[in-house]
Amino acid sequence: MAPRTLAFFVCSPHSRTGVTTAARLLTDYYLSRNVDVEGFDTDFREPLYAVFFPEATRIVDVSEIKGQISLFDRLLVADETPKIVDVWHRSYERLFATIAEIGFLEEARRRGVEPIVLFQTDVTESAANSALVLKTTWPDLMMNVIHNRGASPLGADSLAILARYPASGKFVIPSLEAPIARALNDVDLSLSRFMREPPAGMSLVVRAALKAWLSPIFTQFQSFELRLELQSSEWLR
Amino acid sequence: MVKKPVKITREAPAKREPESRPRKAEAPAVAANAAARPAVIVVGADKGGVGKTTIARAILDFLSLNDIHTRAFDTETPRGTLHRFHPDETMIVDLTEPSDQMKIIDTLNTSQAKVSVIDVRAGGLSPALGALDEIGFFDAVKGGEFRFVLLHVIGPSIASLEEIAEIAPYVADANYFMVKNHVNDTTFFEWDPQTHAKYFEHVVTSGEITIPKLSELAYEQVELSGTPFSTFIGNQDAQGRPAEHSFVLRGYVRTWLARVADEFERVGLLDLVGDKRR
Repeated sequence: MAPRTLAFFVCSPHSRTGVTTAARLLTDYYLSRNVDVEGFDTDFREPLYAVFFPEATRIVDVSEIKGQISLFDRLLVADETPKIVDVWHRSYERLFATIAEIGFLEEARRRGVEPIVLFQTDVTESAANSALVLKTTWPDLMMNVIHNRGASPLGADSLAILARYPASGKFVIPSLEAPIARALNDVDLSLSRFMREPPAGMSLVVRAALKAWLSPIFTQFQSFELRLELQSSEWLR
Repeated sequence: MVKKPVKITREAPAKREPESRPRKAEAPAVAANAAARPAVIVVGADKGGVGKTTIARAILDFLSLNDIHTRAFDTETPRGTLHRFHPDETMIVDLTEPSDQMKIIDTLNTSQAKVSVIDVRAGGLSPALGALDEIGFFDAVKGGEFRFVLLHVIGPSIASLEEIAEIAPYVADANYFMVKNHVNDTTFFEWDPQTHAKYFEHVVTSGEITIPKLSELAYEQVELSGTPFSTFIGNQDAQGRPAEHSFVLRGYVRTWLARVADEFERVGLLDLVGDKRR
């Protein structure tokens, strides 16, 4: 089985849908398994994702060619290190336009890099349409949706809304009680370290709630990773 | 809206009819034996800094990618910018010297390359055309011996329009194209129709070619590499060794060159200079 280097684009064309949270969770999932990750924060004005992982991320401005070189040339390195791009909603259009213009997806596959879009859902029709445009433009592009029930609840029509997205899979990030969610904002809180050894001074209630929240999310990521490995296994074809 | 991906793996281009060219209709000898006749493409302008050599380089890449054996002449003596990028197929010449004129014109029928591209140095277009006229080249074109394509690279100023009047006497039997070069982000204002008409009353063009913009950084990196655009895209250096050019920059150059090729195809350049049986 040829190893594949995964390049995740966590994205949404809209703000406040939970893109950075998803990118952070995915990064911490890998780190919790002692897998090195390279992150890219495309919000050069307020790079919150990079603040959580200062050692593992770089800030790129994709509106500039130099930023595009920092991002895409690095994403094309097939070194088996998962790459995670937190796509700022203001960078969304430019990022995918550049991907189209330079032929990034075709080159990535040629080099053994698997681009995966993790599309953050929201209630608007335009978000689902944007996902459709990506899938229409690149029919072979692997796309999963992320439904963040806290940041971007879909309400009673969630099934109908999710059905609009042309995704092959779905991740669900459960909502959190406000006091627990506040604990997440602590930039010194590493979720990967927390899973291995919760901070001694942390409230027992917060600790239990966070663990109950994180475990199913990490399990979904693990299932996804296993599915990818099974799909690429030559013995199962 | 996300842009549609640009077709970057180019298949053999579909043949298209050239745009209507009124003057072509008046040259009956031209059509009959087109495939066998050598073609001369002159790229020039009387104004400097409009990107003549960039256009000449793009043509050499375009013809090479279409398997058309081409040679080039660089009249920028002694430096030879075109020669720097395409040393194997380019000779530096002085078009005003009879010995160099012989190297070009007298070998048109015997050279294996059936297309000759002449990159005329800044300010040299009118004298170059005058020299070709003097040695009877245009009579030979009129007689159907050679095919002649003139790519006149114009700048955004009115001075460029004035050039048109100067070269008008030489382009009667040419496939004469005006080239607007945006590679360096030049913006062209729309000329006043009356002014425009005044300059074009004595000349009929075969069409207009628009060269799109290329990112400055990508353009600069190709300049530094000193290679043809296609070699840069293929990630090789001037000696054919593997290079380490940025994929992003190569991607921009590839897309740009594909768009330029689309323009050349749109105006039927392959039909004008290539083997029609292709």
